[in-house]
Amino acid sequence: MASKRIQKELQDLQKDPPTSCSAGPAGDDLFHWQATIMGPSDSPYAGGVFFVNIMFPPDYPFKPPKVTFQTKVYHPNVNSQGSICLDILKDQWSPALTISKVLLSICSLLTDPNPDDPLVPEIAHIYKTDRRRYEETAREWTRKYAMG
Amino acid sequence: MASTEPAAEPPVAGSEAPDRPSDEAILQQQNQIRAEQAKVSEYVGQEENLGALKAEYENGNQNFVQKIGKLEERYRTFRRTRGDGNCFFRGFIYAYLEGLLQNSDLAEANRFMSVVQSWKAKLVEGGFQELVFEDAMELLLEQVKEVTKASDQFAQEKLLVNMRDDMVSNMIVMFLRLVTSCEVQRREDFFFPFILGMYDEPPATVELFCQRHVEPMGEESDHLHIVAVTEALQIPVRVVYLDSSGLPAGGGGGGAGALEASCHDFVPDSCPPGTAPRVHLLYRPGHYDILYAKSG
Repeated sequence: MASKRIQKELQDLQKDPPTSCSAGPAGDDLFHWQATIMGPSDSPYAGGVFFVNIMFPPDYPFKPPKVTFQTKVYHPNVNSQGSICLDILKDQWSPALTISKVLLSICSLLTDPNPDDPLVPEIAHIYKTDRRRYEETAREWTRKYAMG
Repeated sequence: MASTEPAAEPPVAGSEAPDRPSDEAILQQQNQIRAEQAKVSEYVGQEENLGALKAEYENGNQNFVQKIGKLEERYRTFRRTRGDGNCFFRGFIYAYLEGLLQNSDLAEANRFMSVVQSWKAKLVEGGFQELVFEDAMELLLEQVKEVTKASDQFAQEKLLVNMRDDMVSNMIVMFLRLVTSCEVQRREDFFFPFILGMYDEPPATVELFCQRHVEPMGEESDHLHIVAVTEALQIPVRVVYLDSSGLPAGGGGGGAGALEASCHDFVPDSCPPGTAPRVHLLYRPGHYDILYAKSG
């Protein structure tokens, strides 16, 4: 049943792809996808292309997919391993959500970080106290790791 | 060195919030707890005598013992459900399907199936993608068709097996959660004041409440969930509240045996007041099990 649902999501993504993301199986394994997210234009990530790894659990959609950045991102809610701190990927996951919605939420998180629930407190601190420095560093990282 | 140089990169690991386990660790622990529970109890247990319930309290709070004693006048047995946060929805639908099966109630089964089918359009209108609920809806309809075919022991066993199956059971619970969420959002003016009263810091919108407290699997059900789902599917439910409370102080009189579990009937607007409940549930703080009334 999990694979049937994943298959349906894949067809839906192909039929009606979100504007700023794409996603699909990384290889032969339907439970392992790779996605790309375009850095939102109103964020310091603009112009970057971010690769995202998606692992579906065997009991998907009752359990959330595991979603991590493969591209380095300077962000209060993304750590050096690419782990993302996002409520819908944890206890707020619901089977009504889809990968498409998850990717859109990640786009929103890039535009609007959540410094009050940080994964990297140092970046959250800079974000809160020195927004310009945060934006410069995020832009720098985007140029360095997410372009070309 | 300028602060924008990659030297600003946080040191690998160790730099994350120290007291907070990683998301993976939290999920892993949750899964582990659930897995341990699974070993102890099925999603839906076997029918047991109320004596087994009473035995749990023999050496504890005697108010429970008294109330269960009183309950035995009206109920013959009960059936436990797994305490995984889905116990209300699972107990509710199991008891309902079992009732259809035992009463061979074809008219009610047909009514229920058309109500379930009517939720397809409402869910889509409510912003739920068909791909997230269509299989679950089919599975529920299949169960209904199944229980109306035969009412023998075999059919009963089959229902139990299906409702103990991870996939079937959880798909149906999920469908009920989405219908509940959709019902609450369709009637947000009615439900919002209740939501405001449920929390110290209530969710800002009905939609947010549903996303946080209705749709996710394992989120416990409150009074509000029951009102919504019984309305949505038009199934009257009685909940018997069993807790340790005694007689109100200074309540005067009422000798031994007067202590009784209180009942609450959830009768959908479409049913005339006093409609007999189709499902009886036993509520103990934090958990719902199924109750079986004595016939006649």
